[in-house]
Amino acid sequence: MRRWSGWLLACWPLLGLADDSLAEVMRRLAAVPAVEGTFREEKTLAALEQPLVATGMLSYRAPSFLRKRTLAPQPEDYEADGDWLTVETPTTGRKQFDLNGYPQLRPLVEAIRATQAGDRATLERYYRLEFEGTPAAWSLRLMPVAPEAANYLSAIIVRGQDGRIASMETLEPDGDRSLMTIRLASPP
Amino acid sequence: MRSVPRWLIQTLWLVVALGCGWIVLATPIAADLALFVPRADPVAELLLEQLRNGPTTRLILIGLDGDSETARAAASRRMAERLRGNALFARVANGADMLPDAELRALFAHRYLLSPGLTPERFTVERLRTALQARLAELQSPLAVFQKRWLASDPTGELMHLLRLWQGGIREPTKRLGVWFSPDGARALLLVETRSSGYDLIAQRQAVTAIRDAFADVSQGTAVRLAMSGPGVLATLAEDQVRASAEWLSVLAFGAVVLILLLVYRSTRTVWLGALPMLAALLVGAAAVGLIFGKIYLITFAFSMTLLGETLDYPTYVFSHRRAAESVAETVRQLWPTLRLCVATTMLGCLAMLDSDFAGLSQLGVFTMAGIAAAVATTRWLLPTLVATHWTPPQPAAIGPWADALLRPRPRLALVLGSGGFVVLAAVLIKAPPLWENDLAALSPVPRELVRLDQELRNASGAPEIGHLIIVTAPDAETALRHSETVGAYLARRQAEGLLAAYDGAMRYLPSAQSQQRRQAELPDAATLAANLKLALEGLPFKPGLFAPFLDAIAAARTAAPLRPVDLSATLLGVRVGTLLFAGERGWTALLPLSGVRDARAVAAELPPLENGQVYYLDLRAETNRLVAGFREAALQRLAWGVALIVAVVWVGLRSWRRVAAALLPVLLALIFTVAALLALGERLSLFHLVSLLLVLGVGVDYGLFFSRPGADADLRRRTLHALLVCCGSALTVFGMLSISALPALRAIGLTVGLGVAASFIAALVAARPLLTRMS
Repeated sequence: MRRWSGWLLACWPLLGLADDSLAEVMRRLAAVPAVEGTFREEKTLAALEQPLVATGMLSYRAPSFLRKRTLAPQPEDYEADGDWLTVETPTTGRKQFDLNGYPQLRPLVEAIRATQAGDRATLERYYRLEFEGTPAAWSLRLMPVAPEAANYLSAIIVRGQDGRIASMETLEPDGDRSLMTIRLASPP
Repeated sequence: MRSVPRWLIQTLWLVVALGCGWIVLATPIAADLALFVPRADPVAELLLEQLRNGPTTRLILIGLDGDSETARAAASRRMAERLRGNALFARVANGADMLPDAELRALFAHRYLLSPGLTPERFTVERLRTALQARLAELQSPLAVFQKRWLASDPTGELMHLLRLWQGGIREPTKRLGVWFSPDGARALLLVETRSSGYDLIAQRQAVTAIRDAFADVSQGTAVRLAMSGPGVLATLAEDQVRASAEWLSVLAFGAVVLILLLVYRSTRTVWLGALPMLAALLVGAAAVGLIFGKIYLITFAFSMTLLGETLDYPTYVFSHRRAAESVAETVRQLWPTLRLCVATTMLGCLAMLDSDFAGLSQLGVFTMAGIAAAVATTRWLLPTLVATHWTPPQPAAIGPWADALLRPRPRLALVLGSGGFVVLAAVLIKAPPLWENDLAALSPVPRELVRLDQELRNASGAPEIGHLIIVTAPDAETALRHSETVGAYLARRQAEGLLAAYDGAMRYLPSAQSQQRRQAELPDAATLAANLKLALEGLPFKPGLFAPFLDAIAAARTAAPLRPVDLSATLLGVRVGTLLFAGERGWTALLPLSGVRDARAVAAELPPLENGQVYYLDLRAETNRLVAGFREAALQRLAWGVALIVAVVWVGLRSWRRVAAALLPVLLALIFTVAALLALGERLSLFHLVSLLLVLGVGVDYGLFFSRPGADADLRRRTLHALLVCCGSALTVFGMLSISALPALRAIGLTVGLGVAASFIAALVAARPLLTRMS
């Protein structure tokens, strides 16, 4: 007990510092009105011998529009706008979901959208946040709050510089993971 | 009669009245269409069974309009959550329904026996490879986290096929925001199935209240509006409407009649004396029906009430003909020959109904005959005992010179009226406007816009129409399922030809054991499957050995016991199957509801014959209309016999063809004018009109008989005019009020009787006397 409290006391200033930095990063992210870029996603799955690699385009418009368009190996289009999620794949066609009705989907969308929006309140509704680094180069670890979410998601680690997200790593309880790296297009 | 003491008559009447009242209270009241069903008609019996217990009658369609799409979707979801927790409902579907995990596992365990369209081809190298590539593509998706769970044991995606089937039902509506919506997105849709029959009005009322409550809760703070429909909802609404409307109308009508009697005779005694014959008629009539048939149909009761309207006239005849010089008993005795004839004609008009094939028609006949007899007996024998020997109403028939003016014979006018009647008749016959309304729905007290809403909701939600279904009967569940599969295969062909949009049936969810075993036999053996899988996996990045659970599952499925209806009891799947396949008194019944039927006759024409079972195509609406038309045909035929009997009895009573003409031609004219007026108003004649015309016939004959009374002096004629004016005036008031009702049935009765009574009065006044005086 004493050790714990001592540790806590020792860490207090650090925690405060991290909190300040997180607030600063959130502020910088929130200041971005729109962003576009390409992504490369590498999934390492227990079921597969080699990782699955997908590439495509990402675009974001404040406050709540996010589109992930996979171009290869097969086209897929995910578009989150407010409470709506539109999914379009060659096999299933176009489908719309209300994110409110799919509590398991929402955290996955918010991990990237609310982060880019600098919307800490929304993030904290679904995740416990752990911040590391400085506003210039940071890493934010998101751990699901809801126990059901913990069944399929261990953590998401978002890394970035200033108000830009550079990569997103998803860790699943069964050991599967994926890493999405983002290369920003130069603003027009 | 003079020798019988008053107290004896009164006691006797009271005993009979109380006894009848007791019988009536013990008689169950039936509120269904059985009234219209002829005996020994198997299709009609199935129809009734369906109308009473069919799964389609248990559906409640819910629409949520207004506010934003998000608000509607949210309300739909929260409402479904609330209703699913309620034991009143067997099923609540809004597109977002998920199976409980245990049932999902059960479905998963039997996937290779249940999955629709599972053929051996699905396990060829080629098809396996296609499936594996699809699964690989799914792994790439961000949604893979949810789908991965089934990958190793279900690479061909059978669970998804099953779930789609389970969620969709007969024809799945469009989904927005994860829940069902109408195609234009303006209305979120829910489909609720009650556990109780759509005709169990008490349970339906509870269900409707539960839905209203749930909606009130979830819609707080939003502008979402609730729309609801379905047989049960409509039935409760209809009951409410009838009750509300009939209640205030009857209070109003009752008040008006009391007021008229008070104004005319200035005596409260006339009010209760006037009510006694009608009361006796109702009690004795209902008791007679109860004794003979064991139950009474609600609609018989309503029709009989209408027919017995005539009995209100009897005491009026007595009151208006009271003269201070004679005793009450003498007045009644003087009236008796005419009154007797009035009663005899009405009773004979009903006699022919007695041995009808239709229980309803027989009931109507018994009710009316017994009622009329009781009413006239009360008037003849009880009324004189209840007043002083020389009692007269304080305001005796006050008749001035205007009465004589009215009564002055007008032969020319009579001629004009008579020829006018035949011109009208000829016009109606030549123009031949649509005469009959066969559609029971047109008589429904449910407002038209609600019927339209029902159709809208039904179209949007793809709920099976109540209209069309195929019924398969068999000695046991397995045979019923096999037959359903045969019929289903036939329907699939018809569907491909565009004759119908969709069909449902228990066999879609639970194939017969035979089909399951056939599938089992077609499943590849372990070695073949392993070899095929190995080839299919070539070049794909799946880890070796990953699909071992799949190989095990197929091997297990090859020897598993088929899933049977009993295995599903107490599950949601079982509820779904149970509404479409159930045991009845005569073996098992399987239902295949159809939707979007474009050509019922073509679909029905070539239904495959079934061994050891029956298949029927039921077009509920056409079938109901056929029954109603059949009922009407029978009623009309009986009526024709009745009219012949009436002519005969009037001849026996009056012994003169001219007098018969004087008594009966006016009512004939009146009926022609009434029907013509109804048609001119755009009405089509329904059963309600027909029964009302029967009343007009009864009352009109009375008017004719009274106006053409033999041996009447001027004073007596004035009194007759007074009596008939009061009768006609009260009838016009009461039925005039009914005619302004929004309920089609009440409106039909009110309009017909109102017009008919007025026409009868005028025709009898104008035509009866000239016909008679011409003679002398």
